[in-house]
Amino acid sequence: MSEEMTLDAYLAAGGILSNPTNVPPRYRAELMKLMATFVDSELAGSAGFADIVNEAPGLKERIAAARIVLEKAANADRVLAVMSEFSVDADRYATHHPWTARLARDADIGATRGDHDMRLAVFNYPLQGWTDAVVMNLLMGRAVAVQLAEFSLVSYQPLAETFRAIAPIEAHHAELAEEGLRKLLETGDGTKLQMSVDYWWPRVGQSFGVGQSQRFETLRAYGLRRTSNAELRERWTGETRAKLTDLGLQVP
Amino acid sequence: MAQFHDLQVTDIQKTIRDAVIVTLKPAEGSDEAFAFTQGQYLTFRRKFDGEELRRSYSICAGLDDGVLQVGIKRVEGGAFSTFANEELQVGDTLQAMPPMGSFHTPLDGDQQRHYLGFAGGSGVTPVLSILKTTLAREPKSRFTLVYANRGVSSIMFREELEDLKNLHMGRLNVIHILESDAQEIDLFTGLVTQEKCTDLFRSWIDIDTVDTAFICGPEPMMLGIAAALRAHGMEEAQIKFELFASAQPGRLKHKIAPGETSSSANQASTAITLDGATQTITMGKDISILDAALQNAMDAPFACKAGVCSTCRCRVTEGEVEMVANHALEDYEVEKGYVLSCQSYPLTDRVAVDYDQ
Repeated sequence: MSEEMTLDAYLAAGGILSNPTNVPPRYRAELMKLMATFVDSELAGSAGFADIVNEAPGLKERIAAARIVLEKAANADRVLAVMSEFSVDADRYATHHPWTARLARDADIGATRGDHDMRLAVFNYPLQGWTDAVVMNLLMGRAVAVQLAEFSLVSYQPLAETFRAIAPIEAHHAELAEEGLRKLLETGDGTKLQMSVDYWWPRVGQSFGVGQSQRFETLRAYGLRRTSNAELRERWTGETRAKLTDLGLQVP
Repeated sequence: MAQFHDLQVTDIQKTIRDAVIVTLKPAEGSDEAFAFTQGQYLTFRRKFDGEELRRSYSICAGLDDGVLQVGIKRVEGGAFSTFANEELQVGDTLQAMPPMGSFHTPLDGDQQRHYLGFAGGSGVTPVLSILKTTLAREPKSRFTLVYANRGVSSIMFREELEDLKNLHMGRLNVIHILESDAQEIDLFTGLVTQEKCTDLFRSWIDIDTVDTAFICGPEPMMLGIAAALRAHGMEEAQIKFELFASAQPGRLKHKIAPGETSSSANQASTAITLDGATQTITMGKDISILDAALQNAMDAPFACKAGVCSTCRCRVTEGEVEMVANHALEDYEVEKGYVLSCQSYPLTDRVAVDYDQ
């Protein structure tokens, strides 16, 4: 019972940490980065969707879009609350950055993050109208589901619990997107939808990151990752391809 | 951000030879800030040899006890715990942050649940808070506690647990596992390992009826118990952990070596340690330490680059830097030499920073 064990060995053996007082420095940094990536992506996603609310073709769609704007901001807030236990100034964090900023539609940045925040690269591309937003939301919503399933098992329990609470809310956003997409298909603008699928498919795919085995091994030893980027991407590709095919759309 | 409040020590009880139960009364106006949830902890601060030290201790009182109490076991070489056990007096004032932590699950008086707690040594403090509160507020629920100690003489709250068993007849079951003292039942001697848990689940604990498990103890014990619980089909969300690592440093290991005074040259030689490797780079003094590291292909951690999130925190071990903005680090961290590398520029010609500390 009194045998000594380093925290690194504890983590490598699947140990769980529960409070900020004894997270090792490098673990702390990786954990903060993971949280910042989520918060920045949610805030950027929410901000991008806010403009779309006014383009909704009907009241039901308007409510769905407004709800997504609200809930993504609220999910960012939940993770910020975990960050603030590490002495992050949450209020300043949420307002320090222009979350609506986007690059040009044809910018090609691969998986590179911007210089000033940690949002996933895909959130740097602008949405072009309602149809485009619905497609992006469906593809990304399903990617978020795959990623949250992975991150719901991180070794920092307060964050794992937060992600477990967020997962069903994000899953619902993807359901709303599917509903919206089916409605758009009924009215028959298949070509426009397919163009959006062609645009977003590779960009959402890149949000799973590229294979950096060394870094992945470090994160795995910390209990912050379990499944490789490639495997997660594979999972998303399979599930989403089936969904699109079912809807009568093609995967590029 | 974290705010410390004054708390007056109103009572100190020795529970075993090297542990005290300290009762605290928040200073006027702070009562509300110290309303706690069962299983939470307090973080104290105190200066030792001029340097601030922070330590966290779990609250051992239940929500209905009407007091704020923490249990502090003396740790070999631990500055704060030794102070609390040997010098602290009734009437003294301590400083602590409001209660924190998420080592709890919501209670519902209508529910009939079975909770299983595992505690190793002083890890019993938050578990005691949880079990007292649960038995009082969920009258149909029951609680099984597996409590590991070296020997009979090192069992904290032994009598209190006996009293609770009598008070909540049939709803509290305590299994003492003693490392060195022999007991009537062989199974109850030794360490709480995965195998021990599996044996307990075979004959003494009906694991299939357990809704939630709480574990607080040393690292190897937590790993063994968690493995046994998972092997018996418990989900991640059903297992709550609390760990206060025995390895957390009680005192500062390093003093910052004074560097040479600044010179007019605008180049600095900076040694950057990351993941155990040190790289020395020549950089302009108008470039942040973080950017210099990134430009030299080091995978230094960062997120906001605005001095807000503290992901890029590192420690200056030699020389001096200027931190132009800081919205995240607290004064005591800055005193210890921590800086936000995205906001820090070399002042001296030689600088060394460490991301691993």
